[in-house]
Amino acid sequence: MNGLMLIARREITTQVRTRAFVIGLLITAALVAAVSFLPKIMGGGDSYTIGVVNSQQLPLHTAAPDIEFEWRTFADEAAAKQAVLAGDLDAALVNGSKVLTDGEIDTELGVLLQSVNREVRLGAAGVSIPPLEMVSVGADTRYEAARTGIATVLVLVLFMLLMGQIVMVAMGVVEEKGSRIVEILLSSVRPWQLLGGKILGLGVLGLINLVTILVVGLAAASFSGLAADFPPGIATLVIAVLLWFVLGYAFFATLSAAFASLVSRQEEVNSVLTPLTMMIMATYFVSFYVTNDPTGTLATVLSYVPPFSSMVMPVRMAATEVPLWQVGASMAAMVVAVLVVLKLGSTVYERAVLRTGARLKFGEVLRAR
Amino acid sequence: MLEINELRKRFAGGPDAPGGKVALDGISFTVRPGEMYGFVGANGAGKTTTMRIVMGVLQADSGTVSWQGGPLGYDARQRFGYMPEERGLYQKMRVAEQIEYFGRLHGLSPQAARKATDDLLEQLGLTQRRGDAVQALSLGNQQRVQLAVALVHDPEVLILDEPFSGLDPIAVDALASALQERCRSGVPVIFSSHQLELVERLCDAVGIVSGGRMVATGTVAELRAAEGNALRVVVRDAAPGWADGLPGTVTVQGDRHILRTTGGDDQEILRRAVKAGHVEHFGVEQPTLTEIFKEAVA
Repeated sequence: MNGLMLIARREITTQVRTRAFVIGLLITAALVAAVSFLPKIMGGGDSYTIGVVNSQQLPLHTAAPDIEFEWRTFADEAAAKQAVLAGDLDAALVNGSKVLTDGEIDTELGVLLQSVNREVRLGAAGVSIPPLEMVSVGADTRYEAARTGIATVLVLVLFMLLMGQIVMVAMGVVEEKGSRIVEILLSSVRPWQLLGGKILGLGVLGLINLVTILVVGLAAASFSGLAADFPPGIATLVIAVLLWFVLGYAFFATLSAAFASLVSRQEEVNSVLTPLTMMIMATYFVSFYVTNDPTGTLATVLSYVPPFSSMVMPVRMAATEVPLWQVGASMAAMVVAVLVVLKLGSTVYERAVLRTGARLKFGEVLRAR
Repeated sequence: MLEINELRKRFAGGPDAPGGKVALDGISFTVRPGEMYGFVGANGAGKTTTMRIVMGVLQADSGTVSWQGGPLGYDARQRFGYMPEERGLYQKMRVAEQIEYFGRLHGLSPQAARKATDDLLEQLGLTQRRGDAVQALSLGNQQRVQLAVALVHDPEVLILDEPFSGLDPIAVDALASALQERCRSGVPVIFSSHQLELVERLCDAVGIVSGGRMVATGTVAELRAAEGNALRVVVRDAAPGWADGLPGTVTVQGDRHILRTTGGDDQEILRRAVKAGHVEHFGVEQPTLTEIFKEAVA
């Protein structure tokens, strides 16, 4: 165990010290923060500037709390008209009976002014009308946009992190095999310690990245006010995402190490990893599709099938509500898959990593005694 | 005492060798404490395979390796020092950190690993370079770091595959004296080399492998005795064919004829030589390791 931890620690300290890691982390954090502010900058809430001449301000803000209203008082109608024409005002209320606008009035503002004005007058006359109660009998769609947005970002983050860490695992394995460091290492530690330490160390680096993204993303979102639109259960989602990343990473990283142990030169890493990168790409595309149709049959079925489930399930969880037992069943299946892959992968790695030279075949290595 | 007994290893056949290739065909030898053992043989003879099996990075098909009377296991191997044929270091890792790391992997405490690293860097003249990345070092210095990695945990046995290849004469001497120092403290040292003069100069015992078999092993003196001394005669201005009928072989270098033989009547040979030309040299010589080697693998 000591050997495994030493190896994991070396992986972490070596990477953390590189400029590429630090810069990568900073860029990621900046991007995530930018994304969290984007909806506010792009969309922005509605706001109106309204002039009043010889009138009371209407309680528009009470009727429409999401909208900002700015009131300006003018001495006479001529001054207000000038401000309207100059574009300083969206509308001007004159003598409590007339509204001046430059062209057709904004529909929302028009309806608001009319109904609030009516209400104020009726109230003054002693008539009170209870507001209509709004009841949705369909699914809760309030958070749909936010959920889709979160799911889309999540797919991208998981995909990029998995891909990046898996390539690092492969390059590390080949570095050790190609330079024969592995011979010295394996005369002092067991193959499973070497493999496990490398996967663990690079996995921790992946988690550092992921946690940075989550923390920066959530902090920026609450700062920008975006978090107000988040659906309930964000904490559960964050925990689930971390768990799924660990499972998906364990699955793909083990395979990556096994595939990489078949070759002896860095130039061969790309081609030997092709089947694996195709599998990750497929998982990514399927998950991306699922963000648009999170309740469809494909989404439901694939959220149980490893390794697709490692990305499809968190996306489903973000995009819609998934019963807990489904998450549990899917996670159990993935854990079994990870165990199988660990067994196969470590066998291949152990047999192949000392056989330097020409590229070996996965199946042959596995079948050999 | 390290005993290698009847090691056999066959590598699985590829498309070019369907039947597989026999790498080791029953290799046996013994290395005593404080003995420097030279392992020589042509490329592909089985030296590296033997060393890798001893180090446990390769499994033998049959045969045993025993250390201090019992089978050599994982724990005992942790206290061996190993330098593989193709040098392996993390190119981007710093020199001192790397040596320390391998010390820790061999089970040293952080303090002990740091201390051993400092001592080795001092001893190998690398103190100035301790903070440099390995890739910034010259080949000779990288080789020293490699040696430091093999020595950091103060190993009980040293197994070095071609430690002298690619070194300049000064570096060879430095490495040789580092190994001799370990030997004097009782550590058995096994190394392979193609530099036979060096093996002859350094080693107490030698093993000659050929085609996966140990064709000759023993101390240098024993091997010489087995080979037998040779008579060497140098004759100038002799007519070709003067030695017809005499045992041994004649080589011609310019106007000199050199006769070398391990048998025959020396007085008769001398008479024939005097008659043939001007005798410059007549004497009995011990065979060199190169001669023993050529004879053994022929």
